[in-house]
Amino acid sequence: MRRHNLATVVSFEFRRTVTKRRFWIATLIVPVLIATVFALTYFSSRATSNSLSAQKHASFSFTYVDASHLVNPEIASRFGGRAATSVAGGIAAVKSGRIDAFFDYPAAPATHSILVYGKDVGIFNNAKYSSVATAILQASAIARLPSPSLAPIVRGAVSVKSTTYTNGVTSPGLNGVIPPLIYLLVFYLVIVLLGNQMLTSTVEEKENRVTEMILTTVDARTLIIGKILSLFSAGAVQMLVFASPVVVGYVFFRSSLSLPNVNFADLVIAPRPMITGALLLLGGFTLFTGALIAIGAVMPTAKEAGGFFGAVLGSIFIPFYASSLIVSHPTALIVEVFTFFPLTAPVTAMVRNAFGSLSATASMVLVVELFAIGLFVIRMAIRLFQYGSIEYARKVSLRTAFGLLTKR
Amino acid sequence: MTASPLPSFAGSVVHIDGFMMTFAKRPVIDGLSFDVMRGETFGFLGSNGSGKTTTIRALLGIYQATAGTLHIDGRPFSPDNGVRLGYLPEERGLYKKESVLDEMVYFGRLKGLTHDTARRWSLDFLERVEMAEYAATRVDRLSSGQQQKVQLGVTILNNPELLILDEPTKGFDPVNRRLLMDILDDEKRRGTTVMMVTHQMDEVERLCDRIVLLKDGRAEAYGTVTEVQDRYGGTTIRVRYAGVIPDSPRYTVILRERNYAELAPAGDTAPADILKVLVDAGVAVNEFTTNRRSLDEIFLMVYGDESAKAVR
Repeated sequence: MRRHNLATVVSFEFRRTVTKRRFWIATLIVPVLIATVFALTYFSSRATSNSLSAQKHASFSFTYVDASHLVNPEIASRFGGRAATSVAGGIAAVKSGRIDAFFDYPAAPATHSILVYGKDVGIFNNAKYSSVATAILQASAIARLPSPSLAPIVRGAVSVKSTTYTNGVTSPGLNGVIPPLIYLLVFYLVIVLLGNQMLTSTVEEKENRVTEMILTTVDARTLIIGKILSLFSAGAVQMLVFASPVVVGYVFFRSSLSLPNVNFADLVIAPRPMITGALLLLGGFTLFTGALIAIGAVMPTAKEAGGFFGAVLGSIFIPFYASSLIVSHPTALIVEVFTFFPLTAPVTAMVRNAFGSLSATASMVLVVELFAIGLFVIRMAIRLFQYGSIEYARKVSLRTAFGLLTKR
Repeated sequence: MTASPLPSFAGSVVHIDGFMMTFAKRPVIDGLSFDVMRGETFGFLGSNGSGKTTTIRALLGIYQATAGTLHIDGRPFSPDNGVRLGYLPEERGLYKKESVLDEMVYFGRLKGLTHDTARRWSLDFLERVEMAEYAATRVDRLSSGQQQKVQLGVTILNNPELLILDEPTKGFDPVNRRLLMDILDDEKRRGTTVMMVTHQMDEVERLCDRIVLLKDGRAEAYGTVTEVQDRYGGTTIRVRYAGVIPDSPRYTVILRERNYAELAPAGDTAPADILKVLVDAGVAVNEFTTNRRSLDEIFLMVYGDESAKAVR
């Protein structure tokens, strides 16, 4: 009967949530924004690409003077340029419109700027003059190198692969940090997107005066757990919807959107941080869900309950103020406080776990702490809902709540 | 006035014994005990604030009792106990954004029915109460009378073996009140145990087998309707007359209107003695009847001292 009712509650609550207009507005607003940003990036990228291509092949008349003696006249000629007799003459020719541009290469281009004078062709098209002036100097400098293989080095196109060791074993570096950090992302998404619904999920029974009917029909624990599971399912739907434009963008438009090419094969999935991260995520979710539902159970209206949402959100963002400290000095006192204080523990511990600064002992203590407090708070939330939600029109006082919690 | 010792019934569906409830150290219920027998219709009576709803909520596990035993079918109530309960609370409510049919099917499923059975039952009920065309309508778009019908449907959805109705006709229009009475008649015929809180004494006299009167958190009276009537003097004399009814130690005037009065005989005074007092005082008596005291009158005697004085 209880299992049957749990399934009934989950399906009823899930259907109710996902058929609400405001759920889809909240769910679609983020992917629509992402898609809009992607679209703007895509079209802007295409325009820039076309513009660069056009500039590269832009042909315009220009002259130059070269105090550095680095410019190769042959190369300059390929770009359509020729040497001028004087700086003043070059500038005058531009001013009179006889030529499009004039470049004045200084004696020490490494420390002094190339002076470019040109006919104004619009703020974007004017960039072609400096592009061509620089390209001529670069090509001329590379042509002077004794070996063509030195060219990439001069251009700075050098890649570095570093290997570091932890206790004699190759450490994964950033490739090992990213996978456990995904739990942190999921935690934030769940709390930010579903927190308010968790908070108000039990208020609806009060506002509709349906508490007595429902509590005499279904066990309070079944109802609350059903609500939690339905919220989690609704959260999964939201995450799928959020992720879809990112996946589509990455798979089909990666180069157009200038997205980095992540080599997933390089990511290191180490068992301990992944398992610890998953447990911290579940423990944190349990704790926050219980706390939000408990607050909702003692509040008479969604409006009054909503006031507490900011406070809960604050507790998951506070560790961000110390994020650099968490990464660089994980043993600092404030970091240790954030690590073990229940409301800041999930975020701090997940960051430390990803960066490898959470010891096995601390991990175990934290997982036990989060689950123990989380389950206690959920139990408290059920009790507060069972006996406190009958207070239809007013808040359950702290004294009453305490009385409810300490009674048999 | 004290209640007679309350027997404990082996065949009781509801068993309440020594129930005490305090709110903020103030006792609301003080050692209440009674039983509701299987198949009977039981009236749970009391003035506003006397603790009737508190008792029902404690019986159903919504409140935690301070002390005492509150059992349904021999154990504390839990929705998972398997008792087929229909409960119409004083504070009515439904999920407002749901359609009528979805709401009824949800409660039907929670009460253990299959989806198809709950749906079929709900549609039959809506047909019966002439609301079939509203099956897909959201509850908050119904009139209050229509919402009451849906609430009634949800209450009796699982053919309950125990029906607890807290002021069932409160806020009901005459049509829905008639519907409720028809449903109660059906349930009585089916053998359902009914426990109802009401202030409608005509309903109690018509429907209830036994009653308990709650006053100051205790059972003021408990038994069959006749037993309770007998306990409170039993007889009222109704007189239609001309003249002035004199004061007399042989009776108390319960009600005095133009040319009509109701008198309660004092002690063992016989009706004939009262008639003699009236005639001797020159009252022209046109009609003189003796009746068993109504529950309305008993209710006024027990709870409404002040209001009773006001009409004298």
